Amino acid sequence: MALSASVVAGLQRLLGPAGVVTTLEGRLTYESDMLTLYKGAPDAVVLPTSTEDVQAVVRLCREARVPIVPRGSGTGLIGGATAPQGGVMVSLTRMTNILEIDLTNRCATVQPGLINLWLTNAVRERGWFFAPDPSSQMVSSIGGNVATNAGGPHCLKYGITTNHVLGLEIVTGTGDVVSVGGKAADRPGYDLTGAIVGNEGTFGLVTAVTVRLLHAPEAVKTALASFASLVEASEAVSAIIAAGIIPAALEMLDDAMIGAVNAAVGKVYPDGAGAVLLIELDGPRAEVEAQAERVAAICRERGALMVTVARDEAERALLWKGRKEAAGAVGRITAAYLLQDAVVPRSKLPQIMREMVAIAKRHNLLFANVFHAGDGNLHPLICYDDRNPAELERAQQANEELLHACIALGGSVSGEHGIGMDKAKNLPLQYADADLNFMFRLRRVFDPDGLMNPAKLLPSHPACGEGFRPSRPALPAGTWV
Amino acid sequence: MAVTTSAALADALRGIVGAEHVREGGASVDGVTPRWTAAPGTIEQAAAVVALAHDERLAIVPCGGGTALELGHPPARVDLVVDTKRLDAVLEYQPEDLTVTVQAGCTAGALAAQLAAHGQLLPVDPPGWAERSLGGLAATQGSGPLRHRYGTLRDLLLGVRFAQADGVLTWGGAKVVKSVSGYDIPKLMVGSLGTLGVLLELTLRLHPAPDYEATWLASFRTPAHAQEFVAALLDSTVQPNRVELLDARVCAACRLPESAAAVAVSIGTVEPAVRAQEGVVKALVQYAHGTVETMGASFWSAYDRALARFEGVSLRIGTVPGRLVETLGAVQAVLPGAAVAGAVGIGALRALVAHADAAALLGPLERLRATVAEVGGGVIVERAPRVIRERIDPWGPVPAPALAVMRAIKNEFDPRGVLNPGRFVGGL
Repeated sequence: MALSASVVAGLQRLLGPAGVVTTLEGRLTYESDMLTLYKGAPDAVVLPTSTEDVQAVVRLCREARVPIVPRGSGTGLIGGATAPQGGVMVSLTRMTNILEIDLTNRCATVQPGLINLWLTNAVRERGWFFAPDPSSQMVSSIGGNVATNAGGPHCLKYGITTNHVLGLEIVTGTGDVVSVGGKAADRPGYDLTGAIVGNEGTFGLVTAVTVRLLHAPEAVKTALASFASLVEASEAVSAIIAAGIIPAALEMLDDAMIGAVNAAVGKVYPDGAGAVLLIELDGPRAEVEAQAERVAAICRERGALMVTVARDEAERALLWKGRKEAAGAVGRITAAYLLQDAVVPRSKLPQIMREMVAIAKRHNLLFANVFHAGDGNLHPLICYDDRNPAELERAQQANEELLHACIALGGSVSGEHGIGMDKAKNLPLQYADADLNFMFRLRRVFDPDGLMNPAKLLPSHPACGEGFRPSRPALPAGTWV
Repeated sequence: MAVTTSAALADALRGIVGAEHVREGGASVDGVTPRWTAAPGTIEQAAAVVALAHDERLAIVPCGGGTALELGHPPARVDLVVDTKRLDAVLEYQPEDLTVTVQAGCTAGALAAQLAAHGQLLPVDPPGWAERSLGGLAATQGSGPLRHRYGTLRDLLLGVRFAQADGVLTWGGAKVVKSVSGYDIPKLMVGSLGTLGVLLELTLRLHPAPDYEATWLASFRTPAHAQEFVAALLDSTVQPNRVELLDARVCAACRLPESAAAVAVSIGTVEPAVRAQEGVVKALVQYAHGTVETMGASFWSAYDRALARFEGVSLRIGTVPGRLVETLGAVQAVLPGAAVAGAVGIGALRALVAHADAAALLGPLERLRATVAEVGGGVIVERAPRVIRERIDPWGPVPAPALAVMRAIKNEFDPRGVLNPGRFVGGL
């Protein structure tokens, strides 16, 4: 759909000519997030600088019944910040202020466009940090992290974004500005903050966020353990968790990934290993020392080929370098890949790894693994040749089979990336009709007109439409009605 | 609307849960005797009971341990108590996953015993926690000292099965520790007082129990010194699992040496790390001009019992750690007899007032609310005789835009107003 001239004029009146992008080349910049499989250029992009701007845009769009698509840094992996139905994209990249840092009360309030890492940078010298650390943290925005309830390697110990959001301000789909939560504990009423985090822009646009800050730990220790196979490494992960140790991060790379990383950044991981575990422990020094010994012992018991502990910050940085460069390094082994984000209960990790090997073999595909093993969150890159449509089809088939296997083991379709356009169709694997319908109705409370980021998160499904009636319990036959 | 006689309704209830599990009347809810009390034995029975009650427009009150029934506005009517005591099973416990799925009527104490055998815990410990049902703890967002390190049920509830107002069984969340699949329905349910659904099954995140734990009691001459200590502790690398304030009255109730303000700190990890941090804690106490004493292993159970023994009015004060002095000062100024304790590192305090009537509490509560409102905080009357809560809004004000959203959510999911009607914020 194209915007009417009056809507465009209205937007320009609100934000000035520099606040509205309407040229084709300008709009194409915003047509997709990092999952470029889904494309849809908005009819206009607006760049508000205040909550009032955002509210005025929502009201104008609502009046004209134009879809609204929020966008942070555009680093999502789910087809979330894309405009398949056109409409107005609201880019929050000009709302990057830190509104307050309150270390006495362990929190900060920021605008949504602030880059995740900038917040930690602002408090690091005083010994504090913001815990959620998606791999994109150098470029992703806190508003985007809130929208997708983003995770990251250190979420194993510290929890995901929602565990660190104390309050927020949102412009809902009805154009109302609503402040919920805040720095003080225990607000009366429903936990709207908790309900809003992870809404993927379908409830409205978050315009300010109050987050918990944590004091940096006294010590950090990073170890690397190599194993003959993925399955053995997975068994070591399960054993570490079962021993009551929750490392700050527990990441796994398989042989394909090790080869790619070593080729890209130099030999940081041992050749010939079927898998390596990157284990980070943080906390009081004595705790870290004791746990590092136990973790090393567990890895050896589970058949580790080698266990090394970084002796200094330079060695630690090198061990992480491989992990952080992994996504880029993968270009050395494949032109294209599908990225899975499913989760299994962590005790099922060895089992799903065996199934994954079987699926890869069955479809004659290369799977490269780099993932958050500690919480059972898989990230296989399913490699395919994008010049060969039959191979893409096989990759998609393998992807579906793996997802089904994860759900069959009691898992979840997404651990940290979210749903967007990409996984909406998969939600019915995890949820019954009544569950989907409950979500649909919750969304409608915030966005009765269905204008906020349409076609995202919920599937096209009868349970996500008006008039659906989930089945009710059978009542005994009797005379009372 | 169905028109049904009482006798026919009772028959229908018996038809669902069995005659022996339906009673005419039952234990009173906040002074109101219910018309019936039904104790379903399965979640399907619970859902059918709710469906029936919905169709008959009965006022449903979900009830677990029955220990927190004085939270919220007094009920105008109570037709049917859905008693979850028979829904007390631990359904799935995978120690190696650090997750457990329980039925809502399972008590925290019963679960703790099973978890302890595997060296794990569910760190939820409001006063008297062991007797409380997990469904009730989730519905009322109960919390205690351990929230300093582990957060509250908001951070621990991974998945939840509930009966919607019309009886439709619904699941939200996941059974794994990390999931962002759809809206976070468990968050909406925690603290909702059963007004959006009757909670029936909970999947919870567990934590490994520490290898070793030690507790110290730091005593200070003034609240300002205690606040100085807490600020220094929070700005250190020490990782305590509890940082709990005890004022002079709570110290006395625990038979501890009297001090104007004491802070109990516990650290749980491997023994060498506990020892290493002990030195830092003691140095920080000294820095704030306090004295410190090591407490025995039974300190926290004694503390729990002492708080649970307090009768009368219990106020939950939500503030911030940096306002301890002002908050304590405000409590002392308006409620001179009150005892105060709580998770001071989070700003979650409790004030316990022995003898109060509504007239004596109304003004002070308003002044206290005004003080903590300066940092966006509030005061919830967690427990008080009905006569007080008839005159005082137990929840305190909720900003109008947020309340409008809450009301819209309630209207969407319980348009007939059958789930705990009138008891939640804004009379929802």
